[in-house]
Amino acid sequence: MAVCRVNPLTLSTVWHALQSICREMRHVVDRTSQNYLIAQLHDVSVGIWDARARTVAIPIGLSVQYLGGKLSVEYVLNKFKGNLNPGDMILVNDPYKGYCCHLPDWGFYRPIFYRGELLFFTMVRAHQMDTGGAYPGGYFPNAYDIHAEGLCIPGIKVMEGDREREDVMELILNNVRWPQGVRIDNYAQIAATRVCEQRVTALLDKYGKETVLACLEEMMDRTERAVRATIEKIPDGTYYGEAATDDDGTELDVPVWVRCEIAVKGDTLTVDFSKSDKQRKGFVNCVFNTTFSNALSALFMFMDPGLGEYHNEGSLRPITVSAPPGSVVNAQYPATVGASPVSMGHQIIESVVMAMSQAMPERAVACWGKRYEHYFFGLDPRTNEKYVVTTFDIAGGAGAVRGFDGYEGAISIGALGEVNRGNVEEVEARFPWRSLRWEFATDTCGAGVWRGASGFHWEVENVGGDAGMATGSSDGELVRAPGALGGEPTPNSKAFLIRGSDTSQIRAHRLYEVKSGDVIRKISGGGAGVGNPAERDPEKVRWDVINEFIGIDKARDTYHVVIDPASLDVDIEKTSMLRSSQGKA
Amino acid sequence: MYRACIDIGGTFTDCLILDTQGSLRAFKVPSTPRDPAAGMLNGLAVAARGYNKKPDDFLRQIDLIVHGSTLATNALLTGRGAKVAMLTTKGFRDVTEIRRGYRNVRTSMFNLFIPPYKPLVPRRLRFPIEERTLYTGEIVTPLNDGEVRQAIGKIKEAGVEAIAICFLHSYANKANEDRAAAICREMADGLYVTSSYQVLPIWREYERFSTTVVSATIGPIASRYLNRLGDSLKQQGFKGSLLMVQANGLVETPQESIRRAVYLLGSGPSAAPSAAAYCGRITGKDHLISIDMGGTSLDVSLIRKGEIPMTTECWVGDERVAIKMVDVHSAGAGGGSIAWVDSLGLLRVGPQSAGAEPGPACYGKGGEDPTVTDADLLLGYIPADYFLGGEISLDVDLARKAVQKVADRLRLDLLQAAQAIHTTVNSFMADSITEISTKRGYDVRDFALIAGGGAGPIHGPALAERLGISTVIIPRFAALYSAFGMFAMDIGRDYARSYHSRVDRVSLEQVNRLYDEMELEAQAAMKSLKMPKGEVNLARTAELRYVGQFHEVEVPMAAGKLTEHHVKEAVAKFHKRHQELYTFSMNFRAVEFLNFRLKATARKAAFQLEKIAQGKKKPEGSLKRRRTCIFNGKSFNTPVYDGERIRAGNVIRGPAIIEEQATTVVVPPAFECSADRFKSYILRKRK
Repeated sequence: MAVCRVNPLTLSTVWHALQSICREMRHVVDRTSQNYLIAQLHDVSVGIWDARARTVAIPIGLSVQYLGGKLSVEYVLNKFKGNLNPGDMILVNDPYKGYCCHLPDWGFYRPIFYRGELLFFTMVRAHQMDTGGAYPGGYFPNAYDIHAEGLCIPGIKVMEGDREREDVMELILNNVRWPQGVRIDNYAQIAATRVCEQRVTALLDKYGKETVLACLEEMMDRTERAVRATIEKIPDGTYYGEAATDDDGTELDVPVWVRCEIAVKGDTLTVDFSKSDKQRKGFVNCVFNTTFSNALSALFMFMDPGLGEYHNEGSLRPITVSAPPGSVVNAQYPATVGASPVSMGHQIIESVVMAMSQAMPERAVACWGKRYEHYFFGLDPRTNEKYVVTTFDIAGGAGAVRGFDGYEGAISIGALGEVNRGNVEEVEARFPWRSLRWEFATDTCGAGVWRGASGFHWEVENVGGDAGMATGSSDGELVRAPGALGGEPTPNSKAFLIRGSDTSQIRAHRLYEVKSGDVIRKISGGGAGVGNPAERDPEKVRWDVINEFIGIDKARDTYHVVIDPASLDVDIEKTSMLRSSQGKA
Repeated sequence: MYRACIDIGGTFTDCLILDTQGSLRAFKVPSTPRDPAAGMLNGLAVAARGYNKKPDDFLRQIDLIVHGSTLATNALLTGRGAKVAMLTTKGFRDVTEIRRGYRNVRTSMFNLFIPPYKPLVPRRLRFPIEERTLYTGEIVTPLNDGEVRQAIGKIKEAGVEAIAICFLHSYANKANEDRAAAICREMADGLYVTSSYQVLPIWREYERFSTTVVSATIGPIASRYLNRLGDSLKQQGFKGSLLMVQANGLVETPQESIRRAVYLLGSGPSAAPSAAAYCGRITGKDHLISIDMGGTSLDVSLIRKGEIPMTTECWVGDERVAIKMVDVHSAGAGGGSIAWVDSLGLLRVGPQSAGAEPGPACYGKGGEDPTVTDADLLLGYIPADYFLGGEISLDVDLARKAVQKVADRLRLDLLQAAQAIHTTVNSFMADSITEISTKRGYDVRDFALIAGGGAGPIHGPALAERLGISTVIIPRFAALYSAFGMFAMDIGRDYARSYHSRVDRVSLEQVNRLYDEMELEAQAAMKSLKMPKGEVNLARTAELRYVGQFHEVEVPMAAGKLTEHHVKEAVAKFHKRHQELYTFSMNFRAVEFLNFRLKATARKAAFQLEKIAQGKKKPEGSLKRRRTCIFNGKSFNTPVYDGERIRAGNVIRGPAIIEEQATTVVVPPAFECSADRFKSYILRKRK
């Protein structure tokens, strides 16, 4: 091990302090924002970068919002070269110029100066309840181009000297629905960056600039060594993964594919997406930042779990991500990108996970339940005010990993459990929707030696006036995400609109009218499995049957475990016969 | 007559006795985890001997026992709680397993290799019942009695010990839960039955249900223990009252503790902040950081303006517990914490602990890993021959051997490594403190540190130095910190009601009705606790937020009949507090009420610590010996004083060590230590 340039104790303190600051920033947003999606469901990310846009601390968030944040910080640095001052607050959401993901994710960036010198950047990015455009919510298909998807904000200063530029904010907020609410969420984000500035300044006061900066170098070098050590252990070679989204929302029922080749050579790793489909008319296009961030997130899942909160610039050094311009994973202006955090964004992760599970079978990971949510928007008759609401309640739980079943309830392969589901009591009090049912649905988990977590039966009734429904933030009706080592892929999801005695199927990536009294029913697929299900411990299968995660038929047909319907005991004889005959076949 | 405060911890049972003259005596006996009541009676027997009395005579002369026990916390953390079934609203039976998707409670998002959460109540024991209430309190589907009866039949077959009734929106109308509970009591006599309204009548079903299930998991165990304890005490002649320390920093009757068993979580540690607040009062400090550092864990809390901090955001192990609890932040750092080097080459200490068995390497009981105590021994801070008053003799060679392992990996020499372990654990503790203070926006440097627990007086001063804290207070009974806190606790109970309304549309009638209701309940309860009406203090608070926000800020509310003026006052306080906490407030935005709370308390009879004899500035006659101690890498020939001989007014300049029977006070070179008349040690940074 190289000689440490700083006292190891100072290093450890500084390293942890920077992580704590990020957690505290998120806490401030959590406590003060008003958007259901941000405050309750945690669609928010934070991070710290240095004055050269190198990644310093990225312990928590949604991958597309922050892992590739260095690209975005670099943009701000270049754009405002020579014109950055203490107390500046810069707002960016432009995916093309500003390396963001899609328009509802607004990022607030604060340069942090110490004794007149720019040393750090902090950023808080969160999903706004509205960003203008043709429909509320930001996940609607068939927009003409990105301008129809909403307000596209390049880097602009919304504060100078810690004072709001009121005319600028007015122009922005005049172009969104619910300007009062968005203003509160913006203040919450700004407050979090201010807290970061205070804490980082205190850290610099305490240890001195030279020491803190020396710690950064040491932190980056150490994570780099640890990541290289993991890659080094992977046999050199090329590993392939692929995944698809149902369609692009414009050209319906034609899956769109992302394909990746991961080349491992010594202690370096290259992810090449050049075999992916071309850029589309529909809204599943990913800008490079989205692809870069998601590839990193997927790779981090395979690193030493102890590195989790410690990743930084050093982790990025041994890794190269390439995606050809004009492809669906490096779309060019003015392609629409609305659904890309979910549709295509998640598939990028899935393809990398599939490839890496072959490269590192001892750490195989199966894909998580696909996002199967939507936006409702309409009028709340109780207050006569417009509302928009989305949720994370419906998507199935986590995929299995080698050694463990999928984590029930955990959500989103793009956020790895950092976003949350809601409370029925909160939703009913706030929005004119009544929950009829929300529980695990039997036989919705991907089978395996280690099975995926369950999907859900979710059903609500519109007790407000007529409303709109955008199903853009869902996927997985046609396509399935891969399991690993012979485990079953994610089961498909389906949804229905029930009006009186009529039940009709509704589909992802569309817009629907929902009348007062209509019922929406969704059955989501859960996580994928790891390993051949016919090798799962029969005792575990029995408990899954008793707990109604798995039906008796599925136990027999997929797991090759015969359960007596009366006693719910394993029929050992029939099971071993079934398992051995399958083994021979 | 005597009073006893008894804290049963994992390793020791601490017993503090107060006599009629107001003097306190401490007794420490080993805990008996298999039968904690036996350990307690043993402690009382040892105390009786200390007063030259027969155990039953002594017990007859005790009029009050205040008792804290880690029983509930341990049952929950080790998965040894009772087997519970749930009755829950049909269509929503998985609330406590979905648990709002929380996965990364104690791990990084990028760590996928963790076992899935195992719910306290497995799915097959969560019985869906037809019934439905709305957020308005309107019952749209009455309870289906037949389904409840059917479920109870199955529950009895399954060998369940407790039933948790958890229905949606029961905080707005408890009728369906009450009806189901009545059927349970009728059909399943002998089972522990509780309902979500009874445990926590606050909206948000996941948090309420989870808390209720935890309460049901603890209930039967608490019930068995407290009934047995009550019987044994009675048999041995005890005629006084027994009160249990609660999570909310109050004490309660065993009966009520059984009914809302979740409040027994943290019983023990939740008393420590009361000890700190008491010490703060006698030393004239009201901004305090309290640390209780024992063998395996560190409990930290932050006390501002003398007020004990509370939280509703606690996780206990893997369970979300949403009752309002004393905000004690626990971290894995104690004397037994093990030092190791991680894959990034960083020295880490804890959270693994050598515990009491095998204990630190220097105990000579087979432990080979280097621990904080081993490092402290090598640095000269703790005496090899007077640890716990000489009860355990420590082996320096074994400590050397263990610490050398870390030294080799870090390429440091032995004493550097010992220093590194000491500093790392301090720095970890400093992080824990920063986390609970900075999250609230307070600067730790404005606080005095109160150091309790066996290891607290050893590490407290160095920790203070690291945080820039200039005053450290070491209470006289530092080693029996929580038991001491129990003397300082109030008797009482707290109440809450949800009523969601914008401040400009709030019905004052409704608010007044809610407070009246809670106050009537409180008066009745205090009467049952034999508290005279005049001595009961009723403190009201309300939780407000900006319309649309999801989290509330708590502000005090006036007593008596509330008027528009009081509402305005509360709103003004809310804006101010929001600014303090989060750097901004929004006067342009409407504000709403969410919850109304009441805390009813009564002071137990006051007690006065016995004063010690006055001495001179110079600590004459108390120098015991000298030994080499290492401070910040430098060796000092350090005077060691005998704590028994310290007099009020003595001033000791660092570096110095004061050996007390149950702990050691380390005075680093930068500090000066003085003893006050109550024998608190007050360490101040030298100018």
